[in-house]
Amino acid sequence: MAKLTIDTLTKHFGSVVAVDRINIEVEDGEFVCILGPSGCGKSTALRMIAGFEHPTEGDIRIDDSSIVAIPPNKRPTAMVFQKYTLWPHMTVYENIAFGLKLRGTADATVRRTVEEGLELVGLSGYEKRYPSQLSGGQQQRVALARAIVLEPKILLLDEPFSSLDALLRVRLREELKRIQRRLGITTLFVTHDQEEALSLSDRIAVMREGQIEQLADPSTVYARPRSLFVADFIGDMNLFEATTDAEGIRLGSSLLRDSGGVEVDRKVTVAVRPEELVPAATGVPPEETWEIAVEQTMDLGHYLKLLGELTGVGPVKIYLPKSAHANVVKGRVRVTPTRYLIYSNADAPVEVVKRPHVVAR
Amino acid sequence: MALLIVYPAALSVFDTLTATSADGSTRFTLESYVTFFQLPDALPNLWFTLRITVVTVTILFALCFPIAYYLRFSTSQLSVPVRFLALFPMFVPGIVTAFALIRFLGDNGWIENILFSLTGWEGWVSPIAKPQGIVIGLVWEGVPVTVLVLTAGLSQVPNHLIESARDVGANGRQVFFRIIFPQIRRSVMIVLTLNFLGVFGAFTIPLLLGGASPQMYGHYMANRLYGIGQYTHAQTAAVIMFLISAAVGTLYVRSVVNQRMEKGE
Repeated sequence: MAKLTIDTLTKHFGSVVAVDRINIEVEDGEFVCILGPSGCGKSTALRMIAGFEHPTEGDIRIDDSSIVAIPPNKRPTAMVFQKYTLWPHMTVYENIAFGLKLRGTADATVRRTVEEGLELVGLSGYEKRYPSQLSGGQQQRVALARAIVLEPKILLLDEPFSSLDALLRVRLREELKRIQRRLGITTLFVTHDQEEALSLSDRIAVMREGQIEQLADPSTVYARPRSLFVADFIGDMNLFEATTDAEGIRLGSSLLRDSGGVEVDRKVTVAVRPEELVPAATGVPPEETWEIAVEQTMDLGHYLKLLGELTGVGPVKIYLPKSAHANVVKGRVRVTPTRYLIYSNADAPVEVVKRPHVVAR
Repeated sequence: MALLIVYPAALSVFDTLTATSADGSTRFTLESYVTFFQLPDALPNLWFTLRITVVTVTILFALCFPIAYYLRFSTSQLSVPVRFLALFPMFVPGIVTAFALIRFLGDNGWIENILFSLTGWEGWVSPIAKPQGIVIGLVWEGVPVTVLVLTAGLSQVPNHLIESARDVGANGRQVFFRIIFPQIRRSVMIVLTLNFLGVFGAFTIPLLLGGASPQMYGHYMANRLYGIGQYTHAQTAAVIMFLISAAVGTLYVRSVVNQRMEKGE
């Protein structure tokens, strides 16, 4: 298999910098997601790897040899696009066989490979159908088969499931992961869907305005987002403006005693995941707990989502196990964070883990 | 439509296929066709018309396809003036075009004068009074619609279908012949049939350009009718033109219907 190296890759469109000196190494057999909001440059980066855009600067290497000068039809990459890209005048069989035939593969081998490809994506028996006779999900599966049968060194996927409905998206995501594992193919997947990135990737590169904000495995990106942008973009997060003083961190009338060593008199942002705000035990000093006025309770099946207001600070989200609902009394609940991150400047955040005083869930 | 088109057309066809006997009864006969084709110029003019039509349609396609292709895929600023120039003839009436071409290409026209004043060359032979003159005029007239239809057909092939073909290994030629062309087959068919119908039935340009003989059928028919007053011959010529056009028109209608059905309309 193969290793992909993206080295200070840059793309300018006129005066607009779409991709700004990004570096990613995708190891052999690894599944890496580029995650970011629309317009962050993720698709442009992928298109440069596929050969549809020429980098302004930087290099792309597969197994340490540069592919920048190679036209897209000769690159050892294969791409699955966001839009449906099956050729409408060809059957499913012809679509998948097209690339193989261009390579001069013998007919018998083409037939066998196409059958294997269709079996892999669960569409055996669909050979004679035309794309217009397939659902969106089936079309994207055929597109995946069309890419995979070519045995590319690198598989590129540009939001392939974004036009499908939620349920199908989850199913295809699981299927893709299974296929990728089975084939051990080095994969780069572009998406704006954080859930997709978290569930698929070995590592995630979070992009913003052409740059990579953080490149790490999903649990690190979730637990210790490198920047406020990542903190806000990945998962649900409570962000509170606060200041540090001699006693700790002040959030309105509430206090966090542990300021993680951040200097006093600094403006900081405190980030707390909704599931890391838990009902405070009775013994906790009141000034160290936060009283939340609950405005809305949503039953999300396996947990409760509370939307409320932290007095004098701002809106807050809390995920509670259903068993903890008794802690909400007259629309109010006292909570305390078990863990929080303090962002004080451009550097990485300070993490504070606070275990005592917590009720058992 | 039935009253204004089908009825008079059927009447004409019926007229050419019947004759009134001495006793006043109507009988079926191909007499008018037999006598028509006995005219010394009827068949040569028909071949001439078909030849001019095929040559013009071929040149139009060969000329306009690259223009349409360029307009579809170019991102250059140059495509704006190219588009303007390609569509410009649409806004010029045929009769103006004919006289402009005579002034431009004809004897003592601009080309001849410019060539003479620049090089002193006197060998210019004007194509205007020859069959080539008709072809030049009809090509000029046909460019806008041809470019429009082909550009529309080409824009129905989205970039991502082309990119995905490049991605699996197709080079430029393979992308064109295996991906683009099969998807614009219908537009090509439509443009060929439309141009055939337009050129085959052209009147103004063949009347003003080209020589006195042979004549294209529109011109020939008018001559039979107004020049010599041979009503039956003119009507027979008209029916022949109509049948040939209808046959080609069927191809056009079939292309359009197939396209609609493929799109599921």
